[in-house]
Amino acid sequence: MAARGGRALLALCAALAACGWLLGAGAQEPGAPAAGMRRRRRLQQEDGISFEYHRYPELREALVSVWLQCTAISRIYTVGRSFEGRELLVIELSDNPGVHEPGEPEFKYIGNMHGNEAVGRELLIFLAQYLCNEYQKGNETIVKLIHNTRIHIMPSLNPDGFEKAASQPGELKDWFVGRSNAQGIDLNRNFPDLDRIVYVNEKEGGPNNHLLKNLKKIVDQNTKLAPETKAVIHWIMDIPFVLSANLHGGDLVANYPYDETRSGSAHEYSSCPDDTIFQSLARAYSSFNPPMSDPNRPPCRKNDDDSSFVDGTTNGAAWYSVPGGMQDFNYLSSNCFEITVELSCEKFPPEETLKSYWEDNKNSLISYLEQIHRGVKGFVRDLQGNPIANATISVEGIDHDVTSAKDGDYWRLLAPGNYKLTASAPGYLAITKKVAVPYSPAVGVDFELESFSERKEEEKEELMEWWKMMSETLNF
Amino acid sequence: MGFLWTGTWILVLVLQSSPIQAFPKPGGSQDKPLHNRELSAERPLNEQIAEAEADKIKKTYPPDVLGLGAFLPENKPGESNYSFVDNLNLLKAITEKEKIEKERQSIRSSPHDNKLNVEDVDSTKNRRLIDDYDSTKSGLNHKFQDDPDGLHQLDGTPLTAEDIVQKIATRIYEENDRGVFDKIVSKLLNLGLITESQAHTLEDEVAEVLQKLISKEANIYEEEPNKPTSMTESQAGKIPEKVTPMAAIQDGFTNGQNDETVSNTLTLTNGLERRTKIYNEDNFEELQYFPNFYALLKSIDSEKEAKEKETLITIMKTLIDFVKMMVKYGTISPEEGVSYLENLDETIALQTKNKLEKNVTDNKSKLFPAPSEKSHEETDSTKEEAAKMEKEYGTLKDSTKDDNPRGKTDEPKGKTEAYLEAIRKNIEWLKKHNKKGNKEDYDLSKMRDFINQQADAYVEKGILDKEEADAIKRIYSSL
Repeated sequence: MAARGGRALLALCAALAACGWLLGAGAQEPGAPAAGMRRRRRLQQEDGISFEYHRYPELREALVSVWLQCTAISRIYTVGRSFEGRELLVIELSDNPGVHEPGEPEFKYIGNMHGNEAVGRELLIFLAQYLCNEYQKGNETIVKLIHNTRIHIMPSLNPDGFEKAASQPGELKDWFVGRSNAQGIDLNRNFPDLDRIVYVNEKEGGPNNHLLKNLKKIVDQNTKLAPETKAVIHWIMDIPFVLSANLHGGDLVANYPYDETRSGSAHEYSSCPDDTIFQSLARAYSSFNPPMSDPNRPPCRKNDDDSSFVDGTTNGAAWYSVPGGMQDFNYLSSNCFEITVELSCEKFPPEETLKSYWEDNKNSLISYLEQIHRGVKGFVRDLQGNPIANATISVEGIDHDVTSAKDGDYWRLLAPGNYKLTASAPGYLAITKKVAVPYSPAVGVDFELESFSERKEEEKEELMEWWKMMSETLNF
Repeated sequence: MGFLWTGTWILVLVLQSSPIQAFPKPGGSQDKPLHNRELSAERPLNEQIAEAEADKIKKTYPPDVLGLGAFLPENKPGESNYSFVDNLNLLKAITEKEKIEKERQSIRSSPHDNKLNVEDVDSTKNRRLIDDYDSTKSGLNHKFQDDPDGLHQLDGTPLTAEDIVQKIATRIYEENDRGVFDKIVSKLLNLGLITESQAHTLEDEVAEVLQKLISKEANIYEEEPNKPTSMTESQAGKIPEKVTPMAAIQDGFTNGQNDETVSNTLTLTNGLERRTKIYNEDNFEELQYFPNFYALLKSIDSEKEAKEKETLITIMKTLIDFVKMMVKYGTISPEEGVSYLENLDETIALQTKNKLEKNVTDNKSKLFPAPSEKSHEETDSTKEEAAKMEKEYGTLKDSTKDDNPRGKTDEPKGKTEAYLEAIRKNIEWLKKHNKKGNKEDYDLSKMRDFINQQADAYVEKGILDKEEADAIKRIYSSL
């Protein structure tokens, strides 16, 4: 051990250890010199969840702690770096972390995209710790969720902005400081504006999903995109996300697509093809958050217009028009359905309120997670049982298709009702099936598609058969 | 700041272009009441300090707002009246400021200023230790430097008789010249300050003191053969004649000196060894004040785990010594020192208990048959203790020389605590889970490999620091 390395060295280390421990001891005593102590370490309030603001190092530490505690079901990764070089950290929780299990839907939570909207960031850290704790306690709901879903949690998409916002002295945080990224770009206006394209297509005919093929190249070459935006776009393209939520602050409502008005006016209800399920999804969040769903709650600020809010939910464009937002980008470029949740009237509330925000939101966060197991799901394969990736699954009456992932697996969120689902792929004959969809759980519907060539072969065989039969009967 | 405001107002204007009534107005947030928040309230103070520090680092010395001058080497450490806590806080503040500035460019740049500060603090500490450990340079030096033949002490108070005797004796000892005595006595006689008989008495007294000095030095340098010689000689010399005692003393002294010069290194080493021996003898005495640690030591099988035991003892001993030193120099109050040591002991108790509890569940596992279980348990707890302490040192040591802009020594402690706790929960759950599910017995080595692999991968990706990864690996390897 170190004893051989020189007493002086060990002595120095010991001195430092002693000093360090002294400080620790000092900090625990009441009335210890608190002057200058940067933060109260470990307000062990509940199960190892400390309800305090986490700066970047603490954020990293918190995620590492969750990983260390739940190594079997978690994994930390990064989707890229912010402008100032901070990692955009994600913690993944699943029974097989790092692996997409065929048929297992993928979920994401993204917080703090506006750096000064801090509640979402903290809630997601608490959520990660909570999921880990509850899993180990054997909480059935959580265990089931983690075994059947792949949950990705990104507490902060804009860590640079957060640092700026958090560094402000005093209680009052400016409404704007830290909102945008380090380049001054508002990330929630920075995504390619696919709504515009869709609105044009609606008029002139054209698709409204999976727009912008060859996205990666375009994204990388686009100089107007912030590094954070690019990272998220790659992330969305790489993982077949099914459901997502984007956490904000400044108001108290669950907001769903479309965010941009069709006519270009300031606000008008602009529904997307999946308006019904989106309302249901938004409600699944808001109904478990008492202040959010309180019909008698006064608006956050005296002159706010919350006439579009219904049961704590609102159509985005009906509230106010947002072009270039991440929520609509998800819906229009991928299979992912995303809503925007505004968690607090105050964007950067006092630290003491964090615990109550957690209490208000923890059931909502879990409830929304569970929504992923709704509608229809299954596999699209060929007759030999091989998966068909990128097959199209369309629903009659809903003008928005989803596609199957690499293993041929697909998930189609739907509100309860009777539907006709059609699976098709180039070179294959489409198949339509009728499905009765309850509220939950998801109904399993698989498709075995026959390719054109197979059908041709079949027909040829049939013809030969007939000819043979005819010739035998008629004796030629 | 102006730029930012312009930017934000442009944003507002842009949004205003499609008039939005519902858009929250910035003015609305201004009427919230102000109340203290630890996160934000500290910032101004820190910035103040950091600015002051930053300026000082760059140029010369601005007004010393908070006794920051104590950082400078010129200040006598003993005169500082700031606590060690403040030191580190200031350091933190500086590093925070540095970090903020540096992060503008790149997050991986090493703050040299920070390093400088850390080293300043460290080098100041080192200087103190060396100065005070070096017992050959006794404090008496200082007294003589300014006023070799003077009859006043440094602070101006007149010398007492004892002081004079002491002074003379020391002078003789150091200069190794009895002529010093003659010179001084003749001076005194000439000045009429003393009579002949008084001079005789003085000689005796000086001889006595000199003898004491010599024997003290001899003790330290293990001058066994010379001690009796000088003792008897000086004793003999004490009897009547003037010259003989002095000569004898001188002889004894010269002997001592010769030996000293000839085998300086050897005696020093002997001295150190002797010190170490003292430590070892002492240690069980002192350590019995730490019942839990003592129990832990006792529980270690001396034959098998001798090395570990020794290490533990050394570590504990060193810790205790340093606390003592810090109390001695007034860095901490005795009560704080005691409470720290008590805390330490309690923590050891807790850790041992946890380890034992954990190992109790091991008892039921097929992998560990009963008899070897006990020693395994003890091995575990020893190793864990040792590893834990080593890790603490390692992390703390590393963090002071950290390139990472954080440089806060209290953070690593809190962080490693948190990590330890998390790992403990993980292991607990794994054991329980495997037992319940009746799956294959939880394989520690596989887990360890997996963690090592993951930790390395995370370091590469920038998710973990190298030190954190090492700490985690260490914790796992100690289990």
